[in-house]
Amino acid sequence: MIKINDLSKKYAGQTVLQIPELLIPKGQRFGLVGNNGAGKTTLFSLILDLIESSSGSITINGIDVQKSEAWKPLTAAFIDESYLIGYLTVEEYYYFLGNLRGVTKSEIDQWVQDFEPFFNGEILNQKKYLRDFSKGNQKKAGIVGTLIGKPELVVLDEPFANLDPTTQIRLKKLIREEAEKYGTTFLISSHDLTHVTEVCDRIVLLEKGMTIKDIKTTPETLKELEFYFSN
Amino acid sequence: MNSFSLFDSIKFAKKKFFRAPQLELKLAIRILIGFLALYFLAVFLILGIGGYYILVKENPDKDPVFIINPILALYFAADLVIRYFFQSIPVTEVKPLMLLPIPKKRIVRGVLIRSLGSFFNLIPIVILLPFCIVFSIEKHLAPSIWIWFIAILSLSLSSNFLVYLINKSKRSAVVFFCFFVAAFILEKFTSFSLIDLFAKGMNLIYEELYWVSVPLLFLFCSVFVSARFLRQQLYLDKGLSKKKERIVGANLNFFDRWEGMGFFLKNDIRLIIRNIRARQVVLMGGLFLFYGLFFFTQEYYLESPTVLVFAGLFITGGFMITFGQYVPAWDSEYYSFLMCQNVSYKKYLRSKLYLMMFSVLICSILSVPYIFFGAQVMLIIWATGIFNFTLGSMITLYSGAFNATPIKLNIKAKAFENTKNFSFIQMLFILPKMILPVLVFFLPYKFFGFYAGLIGLTFTGLLGLLFQNRLLNIIVKTYLQKKYQTLSSFNK
Repeated sequence: MIKINDLSKKYAGQTVLQIPELLIPKGQRFGLVGNNGAGKTTLFSLILDLIESSSGSITINGIDVQKSEAWKPLTAAFIDESYLIGYLTVEEYYYFLGNLRGVTKSEIDQWVQDFEPFFNGEILNQKKYLRDFSKGNQKKAGIVGTLIGKPELVVLDEPFANLDPTTQIRLKKLIREEAEKYGTTFLISSHDLTHVTEVCDRIVLLEKGMTIKDIKTTPETLKELEFYFSN
Repeated sequence: MNSFSLFDSIKFAKKKFFRAPQLELKLAIRILIGFLALYFLAVFLILGIGGYYILVKENPDKDPVFIINPILALYFAADLVIRYFFQSIPVTEVKPLMLLPIPKKRIVRGVLIRSLGSFFNLIPIVILLPFCIVFSIEKHLAPSIWIWFIAILSLSLSSNFLVYLINKSKRSAVVFFCFFVAAFILEKFTSFSLIDLFAKGMNLIYEELYWVSVPLLFLFCSVFVSARFLRQQLYLDKGLSKKKERIVGANLNFFDRWEGMGFFLKNDIRLIIRNIRARQVVLMGGLFLFYGLFFFTQEYYLESPTVLVFAGLFITGGFMITFGQYVPAWDSEYYSFLMCQNVSYKKYLRSKLYLMMFSVLICSILSVPYIFFGAQVMLIIWATGIFNFTLGSMITLYSGAFNATPIKLNIKAKAFENTKNFSFIQMLFILPKMILPVLVFFLPYKFFGFYAGLIGLTFTGLLGLLFQNRLLNIIVKTYLQKKYQTLSSFNK
């Protein structure tokens, strides 16, 4: 699904990210962990072609993200609130996304019902603009928005932060189900080691822009990561 | 309790300015604004000094003060309305102070004192001070003119303070609105005139000086009332909260017929009606419709069609210019989102282009009353309309590629803050936007007459339509080149 080759990103001569090679196969739930400044968001931004790489290439399904825009139909992302259009209502935002991904209004109305438990009655039919939602509810709305039109690749930056415990648990279930049902590839970054080990089948640990560990998740993974970070 | 003084607040303001992103640009703009302000100052100075002599010359047997007094009521009304649109509680500056050990009284005082520095408070001083100086030199009637000056100043300052009240309290806004409507009805349909009454009051102050106590008392009351009001409003869920909004523009299904583009147009219309900043800009664009009145009412201009072309460009392109110059900054809050979506730049830009073209069409239709000034004027306006419709909109769109200053959609711009999004390159684009059409009119006009000029303008416009697709491709390429740069400054 994603192929990274000799990727690097430098700011003013300082390398913030350096990944010689990374392959993410289709359907994988890929977890990215690392301390602040490790380069997680930089990597995601590079994958989404939001910043220019200093060298190397990233391809999604064989499409070089810097050369073509053809990866966009297969990809969806939620990084932060700036991925929402503040002056729309949730419904209008979803219709807009649906329009871009070829899903009709009535299909969305139908589809979104499945997320009612996840929304906990706080998102739909609220008669307010997205900018007036709380941070957590904005996040819920944004995350579900990425699933519209069954994209092949979903990129989520810190999806668990700001969510209440109930929603965190439901989100983990949601991600697993989506991946199983449609073979969706998930890229998830998180500071919460428990969540990320529970939901991802592979975990890459970044530090100072380098991949330090690349682990297939097992019951021991959490201990291993905790050990690493406590030293 | 440690004191948070005015000095501290100025220190913060200074830091905020010098540590802002893109400082060099801002400094350059400040310097430019400085020059602009100097220019205005000079103009007002001349107006103030010259105004005295002009008034005396035109009405030798009348005291100029009595000529000014009747228009003061209108001035204060306009002053209040403009302030209403531009002045609001500086929430972002007040909020961080709330958690610090600073008495609320002092925060309120800081807000009120800093509001004194507003541009609108300067206007009466700059115009009237020189006038009063000249007056007292010429007439040796020093005290009365200065008392009169103080009266005007205190009324202007009252409006400065009261506007906080109107802005945040619905009830007082309604009261003021009703007052204006009632005054208008009385003015129009009865012999009772508030404007006259006000003028009489001002005359009275001028003649019997102790009446100045009334405006002074009024000022005192408005300071007191607004301070008390602000003090009450200093809560996160009151004055510092966002207004609870009703959903507007939910039913724009009309646009759905427009396959592909419709959704973008729909969003842009929602953007305009749901965000303060956008509404402000569109209002300004609407005001340009009246721009022609400056030109068409003067014989002198009516004789030189080239100048009228200039007027026509603004009349038909007001919205196009005010809205269009901030494309793509309107979408700056969620630009990275758009960049990951299944949207091609071309589709995105074309929808913006259509919006601008649509606005030119509307403005051209709304400009029909100008036919009152003659068929020639009308023809010029429509010819410039055609130019703006096809080429002007395209050039504006192109210039947007170089504009990378983000816009906060739902925050009011302060007066002159729009210039933040100003850049040298944007200035350069005035050339093709304004000079080119004037030129393609002027040259044929000079050699072959009026209609040749019109044809020149129209033909150039139609060329734009012919090459629309090709030009759009060039614009798309430029936007793509600027993508990362734009993204990084929008995300700041």
